[in-house]
Amino acid sequence: MKNKKKNEKLPLPQILNLDDDFSLIKRFIEGDESTFSTLVQRHKEKVRNIIYLTLNNHDLVDDIAQEVFLTVYKNLGSFRFESQFTTWLYRITVNKCKDHLRKIKIRQIFSPIKDSEEELGYETAPENSDIKEIVHKAIAKLPDKLRVPLLLKDIEGLSYQEISESIQCEIGTVKSRIFRAREGLKELLKPYKQELL
Amino acid sequence: MKSFYNKYERLSAYIDNELSDDEIKKLEDELKFSKELQEKLDELKRIKMLTISSVKSIEENPFFETRLAAALRIKTPWYKKIRKYSPVIGIVAASVLLMFILKYNPQIIDRVVEQQKSNLAAFYKENLKPLLFTANLSNEDIFNFAVYHQLPLDEQKKQCLQFGSDKNGKQFFEIKTASLAQNENNLEKFERELNLNTEQKYQMDSILSAYKKDLASQVLVNDKNTVAINPNIWNYNKALTADLISFAAKVSKRKLQNIFPPEFTHEYSEADLNRIVHAVRAANTNKYIFLTPDSIFSDQYEFNQQEFAKEMQQWSKEVQKNMQEFEKQFGNFRVHFGDNLAKLKKDSSWERDFNVVIDSNTCRVHIPEIVIPQIDLPDMQDLGSNIDSITRHLRDFYFEIPQRQKGKNFSYKYFYNDSSKGLNFNFKAFGFDSTFTAKNHKLDSLMRKKLKNFNYGFNPDSLASIFKYFMQDSTNGLRQNDLREQLQQFKKQMEQFQKEMDQMQKELRKSAPKAEPKKPFEI
Repeated sequence: MKNKKKNEKLPLPQILNLDDDFSLIKRFIEGDESTFSTLVQRHKEKVRNIIYLTLNNHDLVDDIAQEVFLTVYKNLGSFRFESQFTTWLYRITVNKCKDHLRKIKIRQIFSPIKDSEEELGYETAPENSDIKEIVHKAIAKLPDKLRVPLLLKDIEGLSYQEISESIQCEIGTVKSRIFRAREGLKELLKPYKQELL
Repeated sequence: MKSFYNKYERLSAYIDNELSDDEIKKLEDELKFSKELQEKLDELKRIKMLTISSVKSIEENPFFETRLAAALRIKTPWYKKIRKYSPVIGIVAASVLLMFILKYNPQIIDRVVEQQKSNLAAFYKENLKPLLFTANLSNEDIFNFAVYHQLPLDEQKKQCLQFGSDKNGKQFFEIKTASLAQNENNLEKFERELNLNTEQKYQMDSILSAYKKDLASQVLVNDKNTVAINPNIWNYNKALTADLISFAAKVSKRKLQNIFPPEFTHEYSEADLNRIVHAVRAANTNKYIFLTPDSIFSDQYEFNQQEFAKEMQQWSKEVQKNMQEFEKQFGNFRVHFGDNLAKLKKDSSWERDFNVVIDSNTCRVHIPEIVIPQIDLPDMQDLGSNIDSITRHLRDFYFEIPQRQKGKNFSYKYFYNDSSKGLNFNFKAFGFDSTFTAKNHKLDSLMRKKLKNFNYGFNPDSLASIFKYFMQDSTNGLRQNDLREQLQQFKKQMEQFQKEMDQMQKELRKSAPKAEPKKPFEI
């Protein structure tokens, strides 16, 4: 009788829905590799968008997204269920983007001639360009460490907690960086103050 | 500035809906009364809206999953997988290969070490010349070698080579600066003391010259700071000393006893001396001790005296030309011994036999007995083992304080040639009325070890001296130590006296009649 009472007090085991991320991962670990395609379908657009927003380059999105999902496929067996799958997935995505940016920086060291067209494009905004284009270019000018948390918040709608886990820093830092990104954006858009702000 | 940012950061978090309920309530209260905050909030909201509206989502790629599935199907070849581990694999493979090679050919390392050793030895053995050649040894130098066991290492006599033996009879040699060299003109003083006539002086010179030739090949030097010493030089030293003492004894035993203690004024027969010299010459060995700036080792070296004599003749023909070259090579000859010598590993096959002691002035090398050729020298063993005590006796000095007037201070200054510093004695007028004997011992590395508990107040090395003095006068009993002893004795006596007094007081109390208890007051 006593044991029965004890069992009643114990928290009930989490019953996972068949289609939530954890149950899909469990099935994948058990050998059902078809669940992986469900995970890809569910999260691919988010991943592609984060890559696009982070790198601001349309051409690289699919290649890096593919790398992200290949890494997930290889390491899914060792997933520890300690955090949400999306947190883990976004962290891999952000890290892949960081790796890519690092490679570009290294390449720039060895190639002193800059892509002048690209540079000029960001420097001077055409007079008749639309507001979206102006703001888009202003966001692109922000440093990576400010731009990425801002876009993950405003575009992808991640919480500060999720962002902090994705970019591996404190919540306070995320809060501060997002505010500084907005302040930076305000400064960059000052010439268009009347039209925009 | 920080609070300003914190305030606005809260606004930024507010529009992101990242504040707790309490924070929202507090902020909203502040917003009601602050126009500045309201304006900032509006500004941040506009920026957020602009950001959201400006960024377009990327178009979907219908082939993404197909491409990914294809990529998943492609298996990475094994060589690509291990490519990132290639440096580690390379190192491990090289180590394993090396281990196998060394396991089946263990002599490789020994061979390499021996090869290196022989290369090094060959380098240091190049261009070795007799000491006679660089230091231009005179008869005076040979005499000093016999009596003081010293040979100059350079022409300017800035450095000298000191031979000796410790109390256990083990030989050593030292390279030290000439500030510790013996008095000059020792030969002249010796001759004067013996009152030698011209013929006897000539005989003396011929003895010294004969040994000079032999000694030429006993110590070799070169321009690489190498000093090569033939261990047989210790035997030459004994033979030369015996020869000189014997000659001096023949001239005048009485006068010789003024210089040497009587037990060391033995007169050897001509036959004995010849036998000794032959024995020493026969013991000549090709195995030299090489002292270099960074190593010490014993190795074979064949010095060809005849070839050297020819070379000397050749040189004398072109004196002027060769003198310049000579100056370049040997003009500033000076042996440098670095700390490397002192750090030599004792387990090294080269150095384990030699014990090197270095201080700021001296490099002393103790020679194992096995290195020195053992020869039978009848009647010389005593001389050999006590040879240091003879010369040590010569180094002590003794003087008497002349009679002085009572009540006046007295000062005496003495410059000892063997020391870098003079000794200055100041005596206050305290009835100093007898002889004063002083003894000056060089404080060498060995003595330093023995006296390690003694606080010098400075870094002791071979330049430092221990100065001993002996006073025999009426003030001797009033030394500070004695006074302290007397005070301690007095203190003990006082303590004893105190105890006795306490004891006496107790006894008096016991023996005194007990007082009767007081009766209650009656009305």
